[in-house]
Amino acid sequence: MESLDILENLASNLETMALNGFQATTVDNGQKDSSPAEMLRMKEQMSNQCFEMAVKLQAGKSKRSSCSASDAEKDLLDYANTLEEAKIIHFNKTLALHRMQVWHAISEKLKRSDPEAVAMRGLTSCSLDLCSKIKTLQQESCELQNQITDVKKQRLDLKRLTHEKMKEMDELKRKREHPEAEKYRNVLQKGQSHLEKYQKMATITQNVLRGIIIASQVNWRDDPKLRDISMTLEDIPI
Amino acid sequence: MSLLKPFSKLPGLNTANILLVENEEQFQQKLADTVVLQEKTVNVNVRLARSLPLPMENEESRPRIDLVVFIIHLTSELSFQSAETSLKYLDPGYFQGKVCFLVTSARNVSVPPERLVSVRTLAASLHCPLLCAEDQTTEGVTTAARRLLAILKVAAGLVPMATGLYLSTLTRCTVPSDIDQQNFE
Repeated sequence: MESLDILENLASNLETMALNGFQATTVDNGQKDSSPAEMLRMKEQMSNQCFEMAVKLQAGKSKRSSCSASDAEKDLLDYANTLEEAKIIHFNKTLALHRMQVWHAISEKLKRSDPEAVAMRGLTSCSLDLCSKIKTLQQESCELQNQITDVKKQRLDLKRLTHEKMKEMDELKRKREHPEAEKYRNVLQKGQSHLEKYQKMATITQNVLRGIIIASQVNWRDDPKLRDISMTLEDIPI
Repeated sequence: MSLLKPFSKLPGLNTANILLVENEEQFQQKLADTVVLQEKTVNVNVRLARSLPLPMENEESRPRIDLVVFIIHLTSELSFQSAETSLKYLDPGYFQGKVCFLVTSARNVSVPPERLVSVRTLAASLHCPLLCAEDQTTEGVTTAARRLLAILKVAAGLVPMATGLYLSTLTRCTVPSDIDQQNFE
């Protein structure tokens, strides 16, 4: 809120300074001065108040005979919308007018040859250089961006291809295992059952031989052949 | 029926008159003092009333009222009802930017939320602004006074290029629809 106060003070000071040529006296707070700024303000206020009353009179004249509340609401919305649009158009036009005025003032200034105008011309040429530099840099960055997007696209394509290849490989692997695994499994089982059978036979025969040698009470340590045989008898658990 | 009419008298030079209507007559005085202290360039006259219609005795001496402010304390139901009955004594010309509703203790937990909603619907149906004020601290009173002064200056025609009617489309109160209410809860 303080900034608003500061702005208000500035505006009133500007008012007084604008009328400096008319020897405006300083305005004290609370005192009613007849300085031109004050009089202008009074005039503005009075014209505003008269305008309000004129609007009221206008509204009083054009009274509609029968209007229901809902109709009035709808009409009100329409009128409010048209009013808003008119306000916006007016504001835009004022802005455009101000822009044109500023541009005109700047161009007038540039044509002259004050030291200020020289400085302004230097500034404008500087800003033109900078603008052209900005343009080239922007174009370069645009190209680089395009290159980056191309590279990214290529990478994505490659990724996709590798994914597909991996999937194919997985499928092939699975397919290959299946038919070979069938025969392989059967053969393996048969081989294993054979192996077990012969292992059992070998164990039993060995145990029988061991039993015979021990039961016959032969001295197997003296005979080299018998010693070799009995030494190689393993203790195979069944 | 003694209606209060906005344009029945001539305006004063560099003057603005504000009428504060409050049933409890407690916040009016503080607000009036602050308003008069805040404004330096314009003569502001504050008139206080308990309710409308205003007494007939000072009909002649009373100046033109530029802004009527209804102060509603949400803590009491009577405040709202008194404001509603007072509304009948206002000329319809006032509702084009010359009426304002000021609500206090809107943040109070003990206040039922329906009261604020009903005040809002009332303000929205009349296309009037609704201000919330904090009446316990001096800062709150100062802020409320400043906002009232801003609206008063426009309503009295003291701001160039703006009238109450012009501003009323910007400052009017709106009621959130039920969908918004549910999301809020």
